[in-house]
Amino acid sequence: MVGLSEGEKQFLRGGIEQDLRSDGRTRHQFRSVYVETGVIPQANGSARVRLGATEVIASIKAELGKPSLLHPDKGKVSIFVDCSPTAAAIYGGKGGEELSMELSVALERCLLGGKSGAGAAIDLSSLVLVEGKVCWDLYIDALVVSSDGNLLDSLAAAIKAALSNTGLPKVNVVLGASPEEQPEVDVSDEEFLQFDTSTVPAIITLTKVGKHYIVDATSEEESQMNSAVSVSVNRNGQICGLTKRGGAGLDPSVILDMVSVAKHVSQQFTSDLDSEIAAAEASDE
Amino acid sequence: MAASTYSPSQGAERRQRQQQMRRLSIQSDWDRSDGRSFIQCRPAFLRTGAANAASGSAYAEFGTTKVIVSVFGPRESKKAMMYSDIGRLNCNVTFTTFATSLRGQGSDNKEYSAMLHKALEGAVILETFPKTTVDVFALVLESGGSDLPVIISCASLALADAGIMMYDLVSSVSVSCIGKNILIDPTNEEEVCQDGSLVLACMPARNEVTQLTLTGEWSLPKINEAMELCMDACLKLAGIMRSCLKESANLSN
Repeated sequence: MVGLSEGEKQFLRGGIEQDLRSDGRTRHQFRSVYVETGVIPQANGSARVRLGATEVIASIKAELGKPSLLHPDKGKVSIFVDCSPTAAAIYGGKGGEELSMELSVALERCLLGGKSGAGAAIDLSSLVLVEGKVCWDLYIDALVVSSDGNLLDSLAAAIKAALSNTGLPKVNVVLGASPEEQPEVDVSDEEFLQFDTSTVPAIITLTKVGKHYIVDATSEEESQMNSAVSVSVNRNGQICGLTKRGGAGLDPSVILDMVSVAKHVSQQFTSDLDSEIAAAEASDE
Repeated sequence: MAASTYSPSQGAERRQRQQQMRRLSIQSDWDRSDGRSFIQCRPAFLRTGAANAASGSAYAEFGTTKVIVSVFGPRESKKAMMYSDIGRLNCNVTFTTFATSLRGQGSDNKEYSAMLHKALEGAVILETFPKTTVDVFALVLESGGSDLPVIISCASLALADAGIMMYDLVSSVSVSCIGKNILIDPTNEEEVCQDGSLVLACMPARNEVTQLTLTGEWSLPKINEAMELCMDACLKLAGIMRSCLKESANLSN
């Protein structure tokens, strides 16, 4: 994947050990994040996020649909990630498919919360217009434009930015006289409802290289990892999801330590991201 | 008309049961539907040698969750694959059409396949079979909750039965978080109304976690508590798996 010579590997590992990485960052420092919102006019909300050389686009489309029989009081959210072969040659064919699925599942786990809806980034019951009849189906599509490591964190940041950019049109539903009759739906194209994104967690991936863990790894650094843990942390410091990546086993105490580091790092990252999103929204208008 | 009202009424009934469950969960103490205590696992039944054609296989039954895993190989990797000086592990999880209460598609479960692969790859010594592939096929006969942990434990047993070199057996246990309580080895019914879940797979002898996923909202002390609970349960489950292997080895002698 990433061709590194023995010397380069040594340099990379040595730098991480001494808390000075190849690009001058410390172990727990993110690359600067750049956010642009409203990049796709056809979507209800969209955002482009750049984290170093990693660039992703997230778009949110809302469609009117019918709630499922099992959960008549909840709307539906689905997340798809597409790793385009234009970003890296290995994304062509099966390699991209596998990575796309891994990322989609990890995002769903971190953003959609438990089965009962606890810890969810998007309150599914707020998407229902008429119980059992009409609800919003949110389609979150993310595209990896160029990849230089730490895709999951950038995707989560892009989804958060896109959600804060999303306006759902106000809908008037007129129910038919009998319950079997299809309700009449009137979608307004003037009034929009904004999303509350304060509950959307940030994902922090800690990559373990040697004995130490680093945040926001570049693809060179990722190639040297033993294992990684992605933790999603919301504003209150609660953990909303966790995924372990990479094959090597980890000691349970190390995992707990990584979670607490992620929790600490997330505060800074969340506030940085929030101010970037606010700035992007301001320049968009 | 009878047919059209059937589904919703069933849904309403289920909702009622879920609501009852949720009400109970707010209280600190209640009985689980199968009479277990919160930190009591379902009785585990394990057997190796479930399928004759495979290099190794295992059958696991935890309560109503029934899983069969066959391991084939090591066989030559497909020509299209790139050269690799370590072996490959190919995992595949399928559900039968009758595994769930609503008739399923019976198709491959890609998510579970990937998670099974992650849980096992850290334990299998891939260097021992270069250029070759080991196939792990898991079939869920009946889904009764905590499916993934059962699949993982059963698959590592099947790998051991096939004589694939591993650092240690991988055992896996999940917990559900409902209200303030942590329930170990949840059933389907409990999984539906859970606030969060934690699945942990580990190699108990090495004290290493190979796979960990978590959903829902958790605080750090609670994660700690749940992980300790899982590690301890994994250690005990690994003991049962080991005795199952010993038993089958004695039989073949």
